[in-house]
Amino acid sequence: MEESLVKPQETEKRDFLSIVTRVLTLIAVFLLFIPGANPTKISGLISKNISLFTAGVSYSSLINGSERAIRMEWVNKSTYQMLYAMALLMLIGIALIGAGACMSLGNRKLKNMGSVFSVIGSAVAVAANLGIYPCYQQFCASERLEKVEPSFPAGFYIFLVMDIIILVLSLVVLIRQPKAEKGEKCAMEAKYRLFLMLLPFLMLAFVFCYLPLWGWRYAFFDYNSGETLSMDKFVGFKWFTYLFQNAATRRDIIQVMRNTLVMSGLNIATSWVPMFFAIFLNEIRSKKFRRFVQTVTTIPNFISWVLVYAIALAIFSTDGFINTFAMSMGWITEGTNYLMGNSFTWLKMLAWGMWKGVGWSAIIYIAGISGIDQQLYEAAIVDGAGRFQKMRYVTLPGLLPTYCVMLLMAVAGILSNGMDQYLVFSNATNSSTIRVLDLYVYQLGIVSGSIPLSTVVSMAKSIISVILLFSANGISKAIRGESIV
Amino acid sequence: MAMTEQEKLDAKAEKLYYKKQAHQKKKIKMKPGDVLFEIVDHLFFLVFSFTCIFPFYYIFINTISDNTLVQKGLINFIPRGINISNYLALRNVNELGTAFIVSVSRTVIGTTLMVMASALVGYLVTKDEMWHRKFWYRALVITMYFNAGTIPIYMNMVMLGLTNNFLVYIIPAIVQPYNIILVKTYIESIPSELEESAFIDGASFMKVFRTIIWPLSRPILATIAIFGAVGHWNSFTDSLMYMQNAPELFTLQHRLYTYLNTASNLQSLMNTSGTAAASAMATVLNSKVIKYTISMVTIIPILIVYPFMQRYFEEGIMLGAVKG
Repeated sequence: MEESLVKPQETEKRDFLSIVTRVLTLIAVFLLFIPGANPTKISGLISKNISLFTAGVSYSSLINGSERAIRMEWVNKSTYQMLYAMALLMLIGIALIGAGACMSLGNRKLKNMGSVFSVIGSAVAVAANLGIYPCYQQFCASERLEKVEPSFPAGFYIFLVMDIIILVLSLVVLIRQPKAEKGEKCAMEAKYRLFLMLLPFLMLAFVFCYLPLWGWRYAFFDYNSGETLSMDKFVGFKWFTYLFQNAATRRDIIQVMRNTLVMSGLNIATSWVPMFFAIFLNEIRSKKFRRFVQTVTTIPNFISWVLVYAIALAIFSTDGFINTFAMSMGWITEGTNYLMGNSFTWLKMLAWGMWKGVGWSAIIYIAGISGIDQQLYEAAIVDGAGRFQKMRYVTLPGLLPTYCVMLLMAVAGILSNGMDQYLVFSNATNSSTIRVLDLYVYQLGIVSGSIPLSTVVSMAKSIISVILLFSANGISKAIRGESIV
Repeated sequence: MAMTEQEKLDAKAEKLYYKKQAHQKKKIKMKPGDVLFEIVDHLFFLVFSFTCIFPFYYIFINTISDNTLVQKGLINFIPRGINISNYLALRNVNELGTAFIVSVSRTVIGTTLMVMASALVGYLVTKDEMWHRKFWYRALVITMYFNAGTIPIYMNMVMLGLTNNFLVYIIPAIVQPYNIILVKTYIESIPSELEESAFIDGASFMKVFRTIIWPLSRPILATIAIFGAVGHWNSFTDSLMYMQNAPELFTLQHRLYTYLNTASNLQSLMNTSGTAAASAMATVLNSKVIKYTISMVTIIPILIVYPFMQRYFEEGIMLGAVKG
């Protein structure tokens, strides 16, 4: 009786230790790829953009930028080689820890093996980590300190502390864990095997979809490109208020929002066009002609906006088709560049968007029409319906649900016009009417380098977009009883 | 009582006859309004189709015609003085070859990895046995509906050391939730008995994936491969944003963009010295034709795969119809 009470507690404790080990392992693996936590960045010569992983994998990127220092013998080449060896050893150590953590999900035999792996791996990692210190000392002993700029990396302590904790924990687990019986084979439950297969992809999704949220912190700091963030640069909501208090940015924002909303509004107002394109295409009897139209009108969807711009230049620029043709016919004497100028920018952009997208967007409606029950048409004919009445009372109602979904998606994406189209078509004369939100954020953040301010705009856009999407989804659920996401 | 062969044939013939008659009747019955409608309808689609092909045709005939005629603006509908010297001249345009290699390799590597990852993940997330399957699947799918924003994503790439690095074209595009959903939905339609019998024979998950799931889901994998490849080939903003200090890693689209924006003088791009005779006229001439030629080179791969893509269109536009 007593035994059965004690035993579960014990396993729980042990499990708790392994869970901590696994979490620490996961963090250590992530930190491998973060340049900020690179323990081998012991000098100003070593690029601050390389992570421990890069340093341990590619010797050339580790010494990139230090060639001169090695040639002038400010630092010995052997020091670099040692540093590289240590980085590689740390990588191997952490890989072993990772393997051990994965194995700890298996049966007793695998668990035991996993703990051994973790112990060996963390011992190697700690040793290699400490081995970086002599390298640092050699850098400090250099004659040209002002060139070598030795600096002690924070990553050194981060990795050291983590590795030591993992070492201790896995030792404890190894000692306390019941030994496997003789002849027991390595095995793991299917649920963990499946999870471990998925894990690399989850990590990718985390790094590229969730980790960027950590970048929202730039909105609260005084940050210039290339600097490191520190708490004394924390400015709270300064950039949020700046956006509206500064007259120049306020004017920009108003202009940009006007362009964004007008262009999205025009797109929404014309969102029925693909549906009617499909309906009228369906009225053509010749199957060959239908097929031809469909093939040809879909091509523009598959070329990039840069190529659309190339086409625009070929047709509408001063030496393009329209001008040369009109001149050769003697209709005009001087060419005009239709791509320049600020007039009708919104309509022009709408037209280009339609030209590129209408054939493609129609496909979903064409598929929808072929899904409509033929008996409905036969019944309509019996009732004496003509061509337009069939369209009005059979085809259109059959397509409306699809249209509603498309419309709601368009409304949810009202702030995201994308930037390719507007970037390629923008020039000095039309920037005031063509600059949409996505383009503005790009120009503000990446071209002119105001990272905090553009982060604020990015953040606001993301949040509003999510709210819009879920509202659209809610509307769809309420009206049609179906969700769109 | 079963119909005899002859009766069957008779019935068929009768049916055909009535169909034909009905068809003829319809034709005869067309009112003037109908005729007008037909004409307008056909005309509209003809004109629209024309606007979709003509630009490509126009650019193409200008690249293969005599350059002096092109300069005078005389090549509008019919090519004259056909030659391919412009395409041969592209060899002398700096960095175009590198850009081509970058675009081709990112398309091939990126698409391959994306398809393999989507197939495997799509298979794994159909497995109910997985530890917290629902949670992980939702975590993947939800990334379709929100993103942190351009600048935070950019800063993330900077933090990961992926700027000015070829890997930025490949790695972030490996896990594509939308493609995963497509593959998952497709795999769910494969009869589960196939898999079960393999499991009874002692096959592992990977073995089942390789020998059953992968071959059977080829149609959907072809679909995502083609759309993925077109996306890779066309993508331009990632090159623009992440390759600011690495012009040797520009994609072809990015190169084309810079060429299109180079004000008239593309002569400077040519590393031949034999163009000393270049007058102002010749400069303009070359710039126009070379822009056209580079555009053509960028379009051609798309036009080549296009006929193969068509049968996958409907699967590709399922967006909005799929559920998480």
